[in-house]
Amino acid sequence: MIDKIKQQIDRIKARSAAYLDARYYPFEESNELLMMNGNLKNASVSRESGVGVRVLYKGAWGFSAASDLSDLPGLFDKAFDNARAAAARVTFPIKLAAREPVHAQFDSPCMMDPFQVPLADKVSFLETMDKKLNQPGVFLRDASLTFIRKQIIFIDSAGSEIEKNITEVFAGLDVNGTDPQGVMQERKFRLGQMGKPTRGWESIDTELFAANAERIVRELNEVLAAQDCPKDDRSVILLPGIMYLQTHETIGHALELDRILGYELAYAGGSFVTLDDFGKLRYGSDRLTVRANALVPNSPGSFGYDDDGTPCRDVVLIDKGTLVGAITGRQMVEEANARAQRQIFNGSGGANRATAFYRVPIERMTNINIDPGSGGTLDDIIAKTEKGIILDGDRSWSIGSNREQFHFATEIGWLVEDGRKTKVVKNATYRGDTLKFWNSLSSVGSAATWELKYVDNCGKGQPNQVMQLGHGIPVCRFDNVRIGE
Amino acid sequence: MKDKILQTLSDLRVYAISKCYEVTIDYHEEDSGLMRFANSAVSLNTSEHLIRLYVTAYEGRKRASYNLITDLGKMNEMKTAVDTAAEMVKHVQPLEYQPTVPTLAESFADDSTYDPILASLSNEEKLAYFKTAAKDMETSEIKLSGILSNGVTTLAQINTRSRHTQFFKFSDTQVTAVLSHITLKWEVQSEQSAHSRAALDTQPVRGELAFLLKHYQKDAPQSLPTGRYDIVFGPAAIAELLGMMNVIGFNGGSLKRGYSMIAEDKVGQKVLSEKFSLDDDPARLETFPFRRDLMGMPRGCFPLYEKGIFKGFTWLQDDADEFGARPTGHTVMHKSLVVHGGEKDLPGLEALVKMPRENDVLYIPFLHYMNIVNPSKGIITASSRFGALYLKKDGAVVIPYNVRLTQSLLDIFGDKVAWLSKQTVPYNTSMTYGARNPTAVIVPRFTCVRDLEISHSNTSY
Repeated sequence: MIDKIKQQIDRIKARSAAYLDARYYPFEESNELLMMNGNLKNASVSRESGVGVRVLYKGAWGFSAASDLSDLPGLFDKAFDNARAAAARVTFPIKLAAREPVHAQFDSPCMMDPFQVPLADKVSFLETMDKKLNQPGVFLRDASLTFIRKQIIFIDSAGSEIEKNITEVFAGLDVNGTDPQGVMQERKFRLGQMGKPTRGWESIDTELFAANAERIVRELNEVLAAQDCPKDDRSVILLPGIMYLQTHETIGHALELDRILGYELAYAGGSFVTLDDFGKLRYGSDRLTVRANALVPNSPGSFGYDDDGTPCRDVVLIDKGTLVGAITGRQMVEEANARAQRQIFNGSGGANRATAFYRVPIERMTNINIDPGSGGTLDDIIAKTEKGIILDGDRSWSIGSNREQFHFATEIGWLVEDGRKTKVVKNATYRGDTLKFWNSLSSVGSAATWELKYVDNCGKGQPNQVMQLGHGIPVCRFDNVRIGE
Repeated sequence: MKDKILQTLSDLRVYAISKCYEVTIDYHEEDSGLMRFANSAVSLNTSEHLIRLYVTAYEGRKRASYNLITDLGKMNEMKTAVDTAAEMVKHVQPLEYQPTVPTLAESFADDSTYDPILASLSNEEKLAYFKTAAKDMETSEIKLSGILSNGVTTLAQINTRSRHTQFFKFSDTQVTAVLSHITLKWEVQSEQSAHSRAALDTQPVRGELAFLLKHYQKDAPQSLPTGRYDIVFGPAAIAELLGMMNVIGFNGGSLKRGYSMIAEDKVGQKVLSEKFSLDDDPARLETFPFRRDLMGMPRGCFPLYEKGIFKGFTWLQDDADEFGARPTGHTVMHKSLVVHGGEKDLPGLEALVKMPRENDVLYIPFLHYMNIVNPSKGIITASSRFGALYLKKDGAVVIPYNVRLTQSLLDIFGDKVAWLSKQTVPYNTSMTYGARNPTAVIVPRFTCVRDLEISHSNTSY
């Protein structure tokens, strides 16, 4: 198949295409299991294979994908025809950042292939967790497992050939209960990196899940008995269970270069960031350093090579509060530098990814991480907070179309008064303006508070794409934030 | 092609029966394309042709599924999928309830929303659509973006309980056209949904873009003070709110899982405005309807709210099985939600702006990134986007910076409803995550709600 694809690449290149690449998926499998209130509601496996072809012709992209590979010439011709049609409306001819041809292989770290584990063992794990979660106060409980395994062969007209073998594991526990006012409350646990070097079946650690099952049941019952979060202006101390989403929504998406350049305006939205801002915008306080680090070991946001064939990188996005970088691929960096009439970006950041063979690569988050700071432990941060609230767990999130403002609802809050955690509150929300919020960052926890969270459901793009990634996040405190609305 | 698909399913059924399996086999085919504009250029032009097969195996109270992307010529691969699902089901845990295996009492085929002319829309026609829609409106600072997504979706079903089949075929087109100012960062938008070539008409899109553009270029922007406003919602905003109601406003499974703003004892009671009536009406072709559900149950008009009175919950077959309820024919990929029009004669945006009014009103055409803050209380939050207008009672028009609304659906569709326009429009709510599922709702062109709180107001575009 690889030779046949190369022949088609050569054939279309000979028709004056500037560049082609093909992503051949010999297979992509996923296995999903969901146990809800003791019922195995979902036990499914899916499998797909096919080829996606991208053709660059006269400054425009054409794309075509199919699972039926009996007519490869037809598939490549369709992509070329789509590029020719697109070339009728070009305002900024696409140019790709330079890159040497790559011959490489990447294997994500995995000790025990979850697809070799008997289904009965997976069901047994869910049954064990279900029993742990089936406690007083819990009205609705679920335990879930998702395994993904895929092989991707990337071939381009510049002579690159990259093989990627990727295994992903996502798992979670959720408990819900009804408070005396009839309002459903929720607490959950999601598997993250947990400092482990691999993410095969071995990351399904029964003891870890059991301990967290006990914790979320206990915390749910505390929430059910709690009073409502006050409407107030306070310091908010965000634990990694909500801090990851704050980072994701108001730094990650805001710094995707395609959004900044207006390529998502008809759907996901734009960004308040302009090209003029790079190098000078005070995005946050000087305690804030953020990076798109796709070299972090063992994360869905570390994938070896992106779908432009660019090696993964560690790119600083915000350096001590100043905006310096973005989430980029080969196309957008060239356009941004040209539009800005200065070199903002030095080559691709290696963040162009597609969710499947039948989707086109776009700028996606890798691991959008915040460097640990000097704030010490959570207890240290609490001790130095006069009037605050500790928040954890995402319940809802809504962000302005240019990522300029936001509203988050959380699962649990603990009020802080005079340096002490006092009581649990429920229905805790907070909102703010992105820049004002990040500039109010007054404490960043040490490495001891830092956790790498996995995200399995980041949505973006038209046609829509779901992507997997990570966020390495410490505990952070922000001052003078509106809560309880 | 239809015959080939049904014959393939029939062959797979024979194979499953020969192995003593109990299975359902669902076929999904999409042949689609999406032309995306950005910065006044075609930024992407895609084609996809994908065939998916979903096999669910049953063994007593046990159930397991195997899905694959395949091709009609790959019979051995499809048989392996049947075998795999049947093997999986041996190893899963039984449900605490008996899942219903569909028994199709008769064969059914519906291609009434398939238009071969719409299905074969060419690249040139897509380009021409955008060229006309934005003609003379693009400048060095005002850029066109948007999508034209069109395709054909084919669904077919069979199972081992009977030889009968179900077959559905849809053609659909979804258009979004946006004009945005590259430095000021405002955006105006117009959208269209088409189930037939005749419904694909550039002129309304062009007219709406031109009208909004004129105001956004001429009228002054303003950061509105937070507080209470009379708000007129456009079709996109109402469609988004309906999407949330679909989850927490009448869904029986959500009710039983504690995620409903409507309690079980509210059936037959007035819970929303008497001006608000909502049906699931598969007679409306604009919604790409299912006239049979995927269990084979015939679907007719199903009232959900009639003059504010809650008429009843919808039940998926699996939820009905789990909670001992009677299924309502809602085991479908999407419902056909239709909000009845009201009495206000307002054919378009220009008429709304010109309409005499006693109070200032805030027109919000689109609600961005909506989420449910508190399902039990029906509280949602979202921001305005794409062409909001603040219409002063003296006739002046102000451009409001985006605002955030955090309110209960029980208020938005409750007694605060002031009026609904007589005119209704289909609004396309299709997503392109995973398998194509053309979806639209029918909503009033305008819906006015009094005294809603704006909790946050931007200070710039």
